[in-house]
Amino acid sequence: MAAFAVAVFVIAYALIASEKVHRVKAALGGAGLMLLAGVVSFEDAFQSPETGVDWEVIFLLLGMMIIVGVLRQTGVFEYAAIRAAKQARGRPFRVMVTLVVLTAGASALLDNVTTVLLVAPVTLLVCQRLGVPPVPFLIAEVLASNVGGTATLIGDPPNIIIASRAGLSFNDFLTNLAPIVVVLVIALLGMCRVLFRKAFTYDAERVAEVMELDEREALSDRPLLIKAGSVLLAVLAGFVLSSPLGYAPAAVALLGAGVLVLISGLQPREYLAEVEAPTLIFFAGLFIMVGALIKVGAIEQLAEWATDATGGSARTATFLLLGASAVLSGVVDNIPYVATMAPLVDSLAAETGNPGNVLWWALALGADLGGNATVIGASANVVMLGIAEKNGYRITFWHFAKYGSLVTLVTVLLCVPYLYLRYFLLA
Amino acid sequence: MLARDLMVPFPAIGMNDDALAAARLMAEQHLPGIVVCEPDGRPTRMLPGPDVLRFVIPQYVQDDSALARVIGERGADRLLAELRGRKVRDLLPERGRSDLVVAAPDDTVLELCVLMARAHSPLVAVVEDNRLLGCVTLPRVLDVLLAAR
Repeated sequence: MAAFAVAVFVIAYALIASEKVHRVKAALGGAGLMLLAGVVSFEDAFQSPETGVDWEVIFLLLGMMIIVGVLRQTGVFEYAAIRAAKQARGRPFRVMVTLVVLTAGASALLDNVTTVLLVAPVTLLVCQRLGVPPVPFLIAEVLASNVGGTATLIGDPPNIIIASRAGLSFNDFLTNLAPIVVVLVIALLGMCRVLFRKAFTYDAERVAEVMELDEREALSDRPLLIKAGSVLLAVLAGFVLSSPLGYAPAAVALLGAGVLVLISGLQPREYLAEVEAPTLIFFAGLFIMVGALIKVGAIEQLAEWATDATGGSARTATFLLLGASAVLSGVVDNIPYVATMAPLVDSLAAETGNPGNVLWWALALGADLGGNATVIGASANVVMLGIAEKNGYRITFWHFAKYGSLVTLVTVLLCVPYLYLRYFLLA
Repeated sequence: MLARDLMVPFPAIGMNDDALAAARLMAEQHLPGIVVCEPDGRPTRMLPGPDVLRFVIPQYVQDDSALARVIGERGADRLLAELRGRKVRDLLPERGRSDLVVAAPDDTVLELCVLMARAHSPLVAVVEDNRLLGCVTLPRVLDVLLAAR
């Protein structure tokens, strides 16, 4: 039974990674086979906290998708981006700084793909007005979205999976990952200054074209903006308080989404526009497949090997996890990677010790930052490339990798002293 | 009534003609689209007016309509500048979506109705010996149908 489960998982994973079959088909097909063969029972797949679908992850994503779907219709993102560009006085590097900071900040609170979908059209507009090439700006933003998303529990789907599996709160992520993410964003800006230096040509006449954009016109529905903004703030406050008050982040997100649906007055097709059903179904299938591996003891076996490989040292395990996650997340989607690794890290932590949850932070940093290495490392990269191409700017795999892999290398290397100092030397 | 009785003279333009000239012709003659001829003179395609707009409006504005409000009037004034130096063939949508809906001169009103309904086209070109004779418009067809009641 164990060999069958591993074989099904490996084949499904290979299909997902190679994109030969749509990932929903691969994940659901694999999950179906696991159920059909009796590797997992109905209870194992849908009701068990250890081996079943992680409903906490699914409903947290669903709630946030609904909130973002409503917020998107207010035009607030376009307003913020154009205002930021105008405050930079049209100086190209300053514009890049403001857009990168805005993207990183928004990505910490929203899904990365949504952030990219919102910021890319405005970037194209601003760059066209400034007469500067938009590709460096688009690349810098997508790199920033992957870095910024690392900062919080809700910033990147791998973090949601880690939080649920490890029982980590919104505040745990904020206090452990946000500080290093601030450093990484500053480092990213420094790299952008050097890597994209040829893109920063200043033309005073073109700047006037940016300054004449009227960002207030983007705000199409102010009452809706007030309602959606208030709910988002309340949800964020709810996330911060969820741990001390003892309720799940998914409950906060769902409650926020429910309130917003009630008060927004929007139709279902409008507030459900951002709900990506394929993503949620993919997650469910993935959880069942990983649950099957746990059930047959394959994850436990892998954890034993990993413990042996690290000599039982938490420090070695931390840096191995950070490096391996960064490399692997560059070549496979970081969501299935983290879904598979989370139970393994759980077992590994029991063997090696896990001071300050450092193994979880290493997994999150490696997987999230590794997504920057190549186009296929993160969904946001693929989306950004698609937008660029639709607008006549082709970014090749290698063009992206040239910048992305360097940024991944530097950001991951910066995490090494952070993890070492904070969780080992000064702990 | 037959297609030859219903058709009206309709201008055509060549595949390699100036795109701005095509837009100007549509504006001056209040046309919803324009018939496009191959270099050998055969009328084969239709350039619909919305496709001229789709070409001049940046894709990112089409994707995010909030930006259309942000750009303002001055930005809109500059849109048609995008057509400068472009040929009609650059503006044409892909084949299938821009194929000319063609009728023979002796086609009946019902045949014209079927062609329009099937192709979702308000315009049918009347062609004989690879030569454009004119076009039948939707209002002309509706006039005939209403008069028959």
